[in-house]
Amino acid sequence: MSSQQTSQWEAPESVVQKLLRWLFEVTPFILKRMLYGLVTLVLVVVIITSIIYIAPVDPARLTKGQRTDAASIELTRKKFGLDKPLPLQILSYINDVSPISFHNTSSDFKEKYQPLLSIPFGGTALAIKAPYLRDSYQRSGRRVIDILKEAIPKTLLLAVTSIFIASIIGIFLGVIASLKQNSWFDNLAVSLSVFGYSLPSYVSASILAIVFGFYLAHITGLNIQGDLYGYNDYTGEDYIVWKNLFLPALALGIRPVAIITQLTRSAMLDILSQDYIRTARAKGLKKFTIVFKHALRNALNPIVTAISGWFAALLAGAFFVEAVFNFKGLGWELINALMNYDRPLLLGAVLFAAVVFVLMNIIVDILYAIIDPQVSVGK
Amino acid sequence: MSGRKLLEVKNLKTYFTTEEGTVKAVDDVSFTLNRGETVGIVGESGSGKSVTSLSIMRLIPMPPGRIAGGEILYYPKDQDEPIDLVKLSEDQIRKYRGNDISVIFQEPMTSLNPVFTCGNQVTEAIRLHQNVSKSEARERTLELFKKVELPDPPRIFRSYPHQLSGGQKQRVMIAMAMSCNPDVLIADEPTTALDVTVQKTILDLMNDLRQEIDASIIFITHDLGVIAEIADRVIVMYKGKIVEQGDVYQIFANPQHPYTKGLLACRPPLDYRLSKLPVVSDFMSVTMNEDGSRNITEKQSSVEEVIENFKVSPEQTKERHRNLFAKEPILEVKNLSTWFASKKNFFGKALSYVKAVDDVTFDVYPGETLGLVGESGCGKTTLGRTIIKLQEARGGEIIFRGKDLLKLNQAEMKVQRRDLQIIFQDPYSSLNPRMTIGNAIMEPMQVHGVLANDEERKARVIELLETVNLEARHFTRYPHEFSGGQRQRICVARALALEPKFIICDESVSALDVSVQAQVLNLLLELQAKLNLTYIFISHDLSVVKFMSDRMIVMNKGKIEEMGVADEIYADPKRDYTRGLIEAIPKGRMEDIIARVNPSLQ
Repeated sequence: MSSQQTSQWEAPESVVQKLLRWLFEVTPFILKRMLYGLVTLVLVVVIITSIIYIAPVDPARLTKGQRTDAASIELTRKKFGLDKPLPLQILSYINDVSPISFHNTSSDFKEKYQPLLSIPFGGTALAIKAPYLRDSYQRSGRRVIDILKEAIPKTLLLAVTSIFIASIIGIFLGVIASLKQNSWFDNLAVSLSVFGYSLPSYVSASILAIVFGFYLAHITGLNIQGDLYGYNDYTGEDYIVWKNLFLPALALGIRPVAIITQLTRSAMLDILSQDYIRTARAKGLKKFTIVFKHALRNALNPIVTAISGWFAALLAGAFFVEAVFNFKGLGWELINALMNYDRPLLLGAVLFAAVVFVLMNIIVDILYAIIDPQVSVGK
Repeated sequence: MSGRKLLEVKNLKTYFTTEEGTVKAVDDVSFTLNRGETVGIVGESGSGKSVTSLSIMRLIPMPPGRIAGGEILYYPKDQDEPIDLVKLSEDQIRKYRGNDISVIFQEPMTSLNPVFTCGNQVTEAIRLHQNVSKSEARERTLELFKKVELPDPPRIFRSYPHQLSGGQKQRVMIAMAMSCNPDVLIADEPTTALDVTVQKTILDLMNDLRQEIDASIIFITHDLGVIAEIADRVIVMYKGKIVEQGDVYQIFANPQHPYTKGLLACRPPLDYRLSKLPVVSDFMSVTMNEDGSRNITEKQSSVEEVIENFKVSPEQTKERHRNLFAKEPILEVKNLSTWFASKKNFFGKALSYVKAVDDVTFDVYPGETLGLVGESGCGKTTLGRTIIKLQEARGGEIIFRGKDLLKLNQAEMKVQRRDLQIIFQDPYSSLNPRMTIGNAIMEPMQVHGVLANDEERKARVIELLETVNLEARHFTRYPHEFSGGQRQRICVARALALEPKFIICDESVSALDVSVQAQVLNLLLELQAKLNLTYIFISHDLSVVKFMSDRMIVMNKGKIEEMGVADEIYADPKRDYTRGLIEAIPKGRMEDIIARVNPSLQ
């Protein structure tokens, strides 16, 4: 056998070369997906904004409460611009959200929009800015963006934790079930996952909270409710209460585990009967290598779809679970905003969810291209 | 080394447990394989030939399968005592798999893992059994790729399976099977899924390689013509049992068992014209005993006699052609083109095209069969699909009974579709698995409102089932309950449901065993005579096209290479491309076998 020095073949590609070649192939595809994503996003913003504005609710009355007089309501209407015609209100909101927008350069222009760049002409300016989500009708008129900035990291942490645990457990259970098809383990896994999937999250959350956060609290040391941040009364500093993440993550993870288990199981059953698995066996490979290298990678496609869908859904806010545990994430904010009809906060949260879904779709498309080389990255 | 015993299969019994009871897939089979020898195992689907090879590798899916008895003795080079592969544990047998005994499977399309590069899959096998570094394994893989005559080995090394052609994939499989210098190489129908021309190159390659490597080959196929090209010894299997074995010369010169005779006779002949193909049932009849065993009765002992009865004289053919071509053509194809975009820019606009059908002109006369032959990718299938508007044409005319199909709107086309039907290649995937075959055949009649109600249609379906030699009781069955040949007959019945004038058969027998292929071809010919049908018969196999067709068109790269009376093209091909196609047909001629096996006999 010829040694490496006398090799008649060119040297193999280095990892960097491989990566560059792949990036070169995949970049136009990503750009295209992002373009589609952008178009989707614009449509979503227009449609959602219109729906929420058209809804027959009077935010001014809700903001001021029941016991109020016509004059102060009128004042509030003026303050929030609710006295203007509806189409104008909608356009004005979309203009505020849009990163490229037109504004009259009145006194509070700079402070409100904090534009990166503004090109003034006459009394108007073309501004390039971060989306301006306005101020909350409640919460002492805080900027919506600030409220979201506080809530999103908590929800993100919750979503990542629960989907991570769910993926590991789900894939593991699914693989084992597929390898032992029709065994007691398989039957148990399938029945449990049907049960888990049918269990509404507020039921599982309530049960978990009562059992582990109340009856067994002396053993588990967990709280029945609690936010991720605690407040130290003496120093006045916030600190993270990690244990308050545990039960919500568990409650949120149950349904994803169920669906991931089932999808993994059925995808693996399909893949394990493929000809190339027989080829792998004929090579003399160990069962472990066959299952986890040759089979699982081919089975990943539907699993990734499920995981990403669930992840996006959790990111958009886990309403019931956050409400049950009083975990002040995005879902909690959204429910409150909805109950008080705090329109800017409501819109801000919903638009964030839309962005998450669009981005997730792009990421998943790229993941498909990584997992399965047969996915055409649009030449 | 050669001549010594290498593998000895003794009384092997492999059974499958099914709902209907135990199926004896391999029933008491014994044979030996010597060093340096190529043994061919031949038989139709269900004869147990593949199960035999999978049993040797211990790759039978368990359950439902199990090796119920017997021994598989392997004699390694450096050891006197044989090893009984049946008795090894799963962990022990793994060391032999891919190392001492390796296998090339039938379907190169699906036998390679789609998510790993070809190089990765071969180096994996090398590194598994041999203690070599990653770069050494790569080196060896590239050399193997060169040995199996793959172009540009480094490119193939980093390619994914879907980027290669079927022939190239099979070469990668061969490289993988040879990667650890095995003693036994099992080739399980390695060329069945490939075009005849590609089959020829793979067979040549295997013949070259076996001179070079010190491996014995077990070559499994349904086609005795292929066996003639490669085997030293032949084992004929039927329903799990060996019915005949002997050296290749003996089997071809003097077949003993009627089944062997049937297999020999059912290949479409090249040097003369037959009115129909002999089939296995012309040679033997089978009756089942009460205990499940079979009684085989020989009906005809002489292959020549059977063939002589079916022969058609050149004068008869001439007479037929005179009648056919005197009529007005039923279909005129003029300057037809179908292009596919091969490169698109960022906005999806086509920048360049593959001309799958490129300016093709021909006529088809009522009652004739026009053959369309060429390699994969020559455009023959696209042409067929374009004619019945399953594929959009780019330009030209398709004049069917005076009407240009390309100018018709959807409603007008629907009327024409009744008379234009197609039978696809793969009988496994062209029937909806969730639909009973009765409903599948009835559906086109419902769509076109043929007959007054479902009652009458059902009666007609049963009539059709009987026409294609199936039975009325099959009406409520589902496709998976049928064999490949039966399914293709169901597809024929479905195509006939609307009483079409014109049927396009697109590789309709390519997925079938040679013996089953003969039955379906005979059925098509019978129906043509009875119902005065016109066929366009598409295939990559010139022998099949020649048997079926009055005239034939040889296609290459979207264009017509050659067109004319089938027998004349075969006898006197004008183009090199046509000669290549003829050359590639495994002919199973005695003189070729003698030249290969024992040149001194000539």
